[in-house]
Amino acid sequence: MANDKADVVIVGVGASGGIIAAELAKAGMKVIGLERGPKLSTANFQSLDELRYFQRQETRPNVKKQPVTWRPNANAKATPIAGQNNGNQVGGGTVHYGTLSWRFHEDDFKVRSSTISRYGEKAVPEGSSVIDWPLSYNELEPYYDRAEREVGISGRAGNLKGSKIAGGNVFEAPRQNEYPMPPLELDQAGMLFDEGAKKLGYHPFPSPRAINSKPYGDRPACTYCTFCQAFGCFVGAKGSINLTKVPEAEKSGNFKLVTGAMVSKVNMDSTGKATGVTYFGPDGSENRVDADIVILGGFIYDNIRLMLLSKMEKHPSGLGNASGHLGKHIMAHIGARAFAIFDNQRVNIFMGPSAQRHTVDDFNADNFDHSNLGFIRGAQISVHPADLEAGPIGTAMSLTPPPGTPRWGAAYKEFLAKYYTRFAAINAQTEHLPYAENMIDLDPNYRDMFGLPAPRMTYDWRRPDEQKRIAFLSEKLQEIGHAMGASKVWLGALSPGSPGAHHQGGARMGSDPRDSVVNSYGQVWDIPNLFVVGSATHVTMSGFNPTLTIQALAYRTAEAIATRYRKSPGSLV
Amino acid sequence: MAEHDKARRSFLLKSAASVGAIAGAAGGTSEANARQAPSKAGHIAPALQSTPLNDKHRAFLSDDEASTVAAIAERIMPGQPGSPGATDADVLNYIDLSLAGAYADQQEFYRQGLIGLEAFCNEKFKDSFVYLKPAQQEEALAAMEAGKATGFTWPAGQAFFNTLRTHTMEGMFSDPVYGGNKDFVGWRLVGFPGAQRLFTTADLKNKGEFTRLPIIGIQSVEKTTGRRK
Repeated sequence: MANDKADVVIVGVGASGGIIAAELAKAGMKVIGLERGPKLSTANFQSLDELRYFQRQETRPNVKKQPVTWRPNANAKATPIAGQNNGNQVGGGTVHYGTLSWRFHEDDFKVRSSTISRYGEKAVPEGSSVIDWPLSYNELEPYYDRAEREVGISGRAGNLKGSKIAGGNVFEAPRQNEYPMPPLELDQAGMLFDEGAKKLGYHPFPSPRAINSKPYGDRPACTYCTFCQAFGCFVGAKGSINLTKVPEAEKSGNFKLVTGAMVSKVNMDSTGKATGVTYFGPDGSENRVDADIVILGGFIYDNIRLMLLSKMEKHPSGLGNASGHLGKHIMAHIGARAFAIFDNQRVNIFMGPSAQRHTVDDFNADNFDHSNLGFIRGAQISVHPADLEAGPIGTAMSLTPPPGTPRWGAAYKEFLAKYYTRFAAINAQTEHLPYAENMIDLDPNYRDMFGLPAPRMTYDWRRPDEQKRIAFLSEKLQEIGHAMGASKVWLGALSPGSPGAHHQGGARMGSDPRDSVVNSYGQVWDIPNLFVVGSATHVTMSGFNPTLTIQALAYRTAEAIATRYRKSPGSLV
Repeated sequence: MAEHDKARRSFLLKSAASVGAIAGAAGGTSEANARQAPSKAGHIAPALQSTPLNDKHRAFLSDDEASTVAAIAERIMPGQPGSPGATDADVLNYIDLSLAGAYADQQEFYRQGLIGLEAFCNEKFKDSFVYLKPAQQEEALAAMEAGKATGFTWPAGQAFFNTLRTHTMEGMFSDPVYGGNKDFVGWRLVGFPGAQRLFTTADLKNKGEFTRLPIIGIQSVEKTTGRRK
């Protein structure tokens, strides 16, 4: 039993928690960061070992010790999901992520109003719970800029202060500054995709990634080894938060990091104000941190679970749940995939930074006319390995053989032997709208190693709007595959309704306490000293990966706490 | 496979319940033991198509379980002349070591799954999986994959098949330090160069096979510095 006291306690030192820790500690506040996983460094990641990191998911939560369950609807029994997307160490998911670092589009922040103004009220799908974000792209732009610089992003601008630049993403929102580093080099898959997409009149460009294309600060350039997605970088070329922001926090002298600390409860006083947290130490002991400000920086599962577990007299259905919206409106990207094989050349997908290498944004957001399509929104279309990671195990697990070829036996072996070096996958990372029934609550049957109920997702993406969007995009994927000059193109299987990557929502931000859980700073509406950060606060999800938006929002929250809340505790809006 | 090994296996399988107690003494007198086995036409030293019986005990799997797992893996990734398969990669060794370590929580899943497979094969083919012809073994695995194999309670045949496929792929393609992918045969088969620490611009531009460096594993001493200008 240890008791500690600080100005601020942060639960989860990951993509957003690490940024807030550094910013507040540098501003002179005493900060304690509680992280359930270990603190690792580049020295821990010298094994370029696909089994350990990709297949056995060492950098992620152990799904048996910390289960998260899923069921497609409220009548089904939930069972544990096989792999979790988030991280389980200092730096969180930024240790193993594929590093895609996007700014959302301007209309991503106002899906409801922009849809209605362009297509009319009826275009918003029935049953969806789409609202606008409580802030605009322009308000977030300076924080995106800061995140790009401090995390270290490689890319090519496509819209600099309103001037469109060929070769960058011409659909991106205007940016004030160019990326801090030029784009990473293209591999064969990227080159083929670039040529194919151009033939079709689309606008391909190198995906922006938190990977050094040249030495950046004290970190070296990428070696193109391909062991990024699912791995910690063995040279530290990835802008993981444990390498970028956590050292800043530690240097300030105001930050104390506690690892192996699993928070079980937000402590509250009788007036309904947060007083700190209770956590289990690695020895099973129960410990406490008292703090003036509590910041929940875990992944959406843990943030929502903690808010539900911490219910008390003043907040009988969970913290921040006066509106009844806590846990609701969760979203995940739907992945549609096409595979392309090339008889006349090698693609050697095992070279070059993994994940989504080269992108077209022509069919994302509202970048194309949806007038007669029967759906809204779209997807980021990219070229990448079978399952983002490029090793042979990941390929054997995820590269669905073409129709007519079995997935085992002599014919399968022959297929894999011939095409492992001759394939690329093309993915539509598809936006999924919020629906209130897609939600997280506490599982009545499964508990984690600490005896806490597992977070339970009730979720199914197979709704009419989503089905039409996927069907449309699947056609585009095949069209691009053929334009790339592939010998054969076919579609991979879709998930049976289960959530794909990048889980978001559940504690969404809004302008109105009646339809949201937190304000634009992540401040819980009726508990001003409790903040939620990370993708749980996202209102809609875009077809883009969420991390840079998570990080930009974290900078904005940290600034507001350090400059305004600190002087005058209370609502920031 | 030596004839006496086949016979010994036959004996052990067919009479485990009644004379299991003397199995431990079988080593030096297996032929004699085999002659004591309950006779069944065609079963003592038949023209077997099964994979070779293992000549050693395992970290977790029993000898019989090991033979079955090896035979399953070989059907999933069969070896052919000039094209190594699961036996060549020693996928069995990978699975056995994993079950003794990282996958210890799946020990009972395997035990019960193998009992289910034996029950199914005995009902459908009147014989153990290892004694079936390759085409029959494929038929049995296909029935499991399709969820149509009877005889399984827990795990379901389909779930067991999916795990066997996954573990076979892991044994084919994981670093040899884990006991499979012997001499990098899995990586050679598909053209994966292993734990390469650096690719150059010229490598990225090359439309041909990557041959600049040999295949390396995580314990290779041929480390590059991993620095690019």
